[in-house]
Amino acid sequence: MAAPPLGAPSAGAEAGGGPGLSYRQLVRRRFLRNRYGVAGLIGCLLVILSAVFADFLSPHAPETKDRSAIYSPPQQVRFLAPEGGIGRPRVLGFREEMDPDTYEISFVPDESTAVALAFFVRGDPWTFLGVEFETRLVGAADGGFVHFLGTDSLGRDVLSRMLAGTRVTLTMGFLVMLASCLIGTVVGVSSGYLGGRFDTAVQRLVEFVKSFPDLPLYLALVAILPRRAEPLTVFVMFAVILVLLRWADLARELRGKVISIRSMEYVRAAVAVGASDRRIVARHIVPNTSSHVIVWATYQLPEVILLESFLSFLGVGVQAPMLSWGVMLNQVRDFQSFAGAPWLLAPVGMIVVSVLAFNAFGDGLRDAMDPHAND
Amino acid sequence: MTDPLLKVENVAVDFRTVAGSVSAVKGVSFEVGRGRTLAVVGESGSGKSVTARVIMSMLAQNAAVGPDCRVWLDGEDISAFSEIEMQAIRGNRISMIFQEPLTSLNPVYRVGEQVAEIIRTHRPMPRAEALKEALRLFEEVQLPDPQARLRQYPHEMSGGQRQRVMIAMALANKPDLLIADEPTTALDVTVQAEILALLKSLQASHGMAVILITHDLTVVERMSDDVVVMRRGEVVERGRTAEVFADPQHAYTRHLLDSEPGGLPGPLDAEAAPLMQAEGVRVAFRLSGGGLLRRRRTELVAVDGVSATVRRGETLGIVGESGSGKTTLGMAMIRLLDADGGAVTFDGRRIDGLSRRQMRPLRPRIQVVFQDPFSSLNPRMIVRQIIEEGLIVNGVGADAAERAEIVGQALDDVQMPRDSMQRFPHEFSGGQRQRLAIARALALRPEFVLLDEPTSALDLSIQAQIIDLLRDLRERRGLSYMFISHDLKVVKALCHSVVVMKEGGVVEAGPTAEVLENPQSGYTRRLVDAAFDVVAA
Repeated sequence: MAAPPLGAPSAGAEAGGGPGLSYRQLVRRRFLRNRYGVAGLIGCLLVILSAVFADFLSPHAPETKDRSAIYSPPQQVRFLAPEGGIGRPRVLGFREEMDPDTYEISFVPDESTAVALAFFVRGDPWTFLGVEFETRLVGAADGGFVHFLGTDSLGRDVLSRMLAGTRVTLTMGFLVMLASCLIGTVVGVSSGYLGGRFDTAVQRLVEFVKSFPDLPLYLALVAILPRRAEPLTVFVMFAVILVLLRWADLARELRGKVISIRSMEYVRAAVAVGASDRRIVARHIVPNTSSHVIVWATYQLPEVILLESFLSFLGVGVQAPMLSWGVMLNQVRDFQSFAGAPWLLAPVGMIVVSVLAFNAFGDGLRDAMDPHAND
Repeated sequence: MTDPLLKVENVAVDFRTVAGSVSAVKGVSFEVGRGRTLAVVGESGSGKSVTARVIMSMLAQNAAVGPDCRVWLDGEDISAFSEIEMQAIRGNRISMIFQEPLTSLNPVYRVGEQVAEIIRTHRPMPRAEALKEALRLFEEVQLPDPQARLRQYPHEMSGGQRQRVMIAMALANKPDLLIADEPTTALDVTVQAEILALLKSLQASHGMAVILITHDLTVVERMSDDVVVMRRGEVVERGRTAEVFADPQHAYTRHLLDSEPGGLPGPLDAEAAPLMQAEGVRVAFRLSGGGLLRRRRTELVAVDGVSATVRRGETLGIVGESGSGKTTLGMAMIRLLDADGGAVTFDGRRIDGLSRRQMRPLRPRIQVVFQDPFSSLNPRMIVRQIIEEGLIVNGVGADAAERAEIVGQALDDVQMPRDSMQRFPHEFSGGQRQRLAIARALALRPEFVLLDEPTSALDLSIQAQIIDLLRDLRERRGLSYMFISHDLKVVKALCHSVVVMKEGGVVEAGPTAEVLENPQSGYTRRLVDAAFDVVAA
């Protein structure tokens, strides 16, 4: 065995440290190895894309009413032509039939009202970034109505409304997440770094906020706002209250983390070269908390989505005519529409999918960013 | 050695990581005779601990053991044993003690219970009897006041006492083989000497075989019958310890043996003026305890009335056991901590009492290198940003290009390639990181550098390189050092004078040669013996 080079005090003399991967590359590789996390990421991207391109993807405008189809059930896409063989995809209209004994009304697909489907059809106009478009991804070839997920009490297309609702729900989620991240980071970092009386005061405030019962606060909001308040105002106020109640968790977690980072030797080395507090916080402390903040943020989003739909369902969150998943579920409050038109629960599917996706993404991200993982 | 107790053949272990498969051990074979001590020596990353874990089959999830790997215990192949069969062997026929006794003991159980549990796992007996057995073991490992210890929790004991409890647990079922994985690395040198002496006497009285994993050659020389030298997952040399030490065959073994700190510090100008001076420095930490209503404030005096002087160009060593206040004194002198009393003078100017802002102009002249190179470099910055920070903060260098040149020179000074500038700290090994930390301090062209145990986290051969580097830099730059250490061997190689500290006070001070050769106090003598003789008499 040849003697290895010894004694030379160059970098080559010591066994090289880690592999030549930057932190980001390492996180990316660890994340991509985790199938559940990657599936979550794909789910998140699909939900976000469907919010951005909601107008293009939906067959109709959310407010367009099809007066001929009130509470119409979902239409099934049919590929088989009535005379046999594969034909052009189409959907069938419904004929109402009444059971002569029970007087129960049932919807029966009616071959005479078949509507041919087509891609890139002209439909209700929509605007994107200030430009007006009329093309929609799927629709009736003749410009008529199609309802893949049925219609509601006013004949509005459930699929189109659900996609439009994604926007408001996700906007709410991102707004609340970003704002509470910002506040939580600023408060948590300054509380941990400055310490002393300021820290004590901030921590008591955090405890106060965390002990606050939030439901009465949302109810109070409805009571305070005038009956005819703009839905946008309600939306913003709702978001503000969510933020006010959510930053506290992050602030507390970050405070602990900052206290441990503050005593790290690289921070003391920065003091030793004469760095100012501002520099130490900006260059040494905040970057080293970033993975924690990112993971916290991905867990916040599904929580806000759930809370929004729950409160809007109760009627104290987002207000109609503004459209969110919760507002749509609000229509199913009474038992009759629940039993008679179960397809109105479609937003529940979206909520489940998006919450699962964001949680899976957050889990994957947390595992990938775990500084103690050594594999 | 016709019938070895333990024989391992072709141990090979790969770890699967994101960056690909890393092979930690590549075909290691050795055997241990009954009642003998085998030392496995090597630097960090040489695969010595991983090999021990293969014997115990206690590897991490992402490890893969090679197909030809065999472990024979008393003629039986235990590498094919199931987890349940291994449980009957671990802690019974083979037991293991670890480096850090604090994390190896369960903090919520009394130590007596923990030892009794081990006994009862392998030898069913009533609890009272097991506790009696534990008491006997505590007496055997020479724990002071063993009866009272039984009812203590791990946090109530010192590091050395905890390691004695670990040894008692390991001996509980009279094992044939004891694997000791760096059993004294986390302990003070004087405690290390006592623990090693205990291990040696216990081995003789129990007649068990010992595998001693260590990086410390003096320990190997004093403790073992046979030695296996490992490097990068392979055995490079094996044989009788005395023979290997007398006539090392492999270049790497020779290199390791040469790495013992040696040489003396360069000459010092006898007329040199004092640069950094501490007089009667006192540092106390205020702790508040007690109940909510009866708040009790206690003061923990870490440094009490210590004086020390570093002359221009001089290297002053501060030595003492952990908890003696040596780091606190250093941090107070460079004003990273506030002193409660006494005076600190730098270059004729009082610097205690200066605010952080007032200290700022002095910061480039006073620099520090910390102990742990893994936490002293910000993991989110590239090397260039780390070294450049002091330059930016102090307005050194007109533009980015000029600063890059200064950073490059600092890297040259510590013999690191200039292309390391664009890399992150985690890409470097411990020794390389310590070089980078030194480069950060040197980039500002300081006059005084506080070195807080800069080599104690490093391997022996790396330590030798860092010592050479520090000596060389002192001569070229006329630097003055204050060197904090618990290792008198390194102090002897580097320091002109030395201050011995104990419990916050000075025990002895003077020129290094005088203090080491003719220690005046028992404490200093114990430190000297521990450093140069290792096993306590």
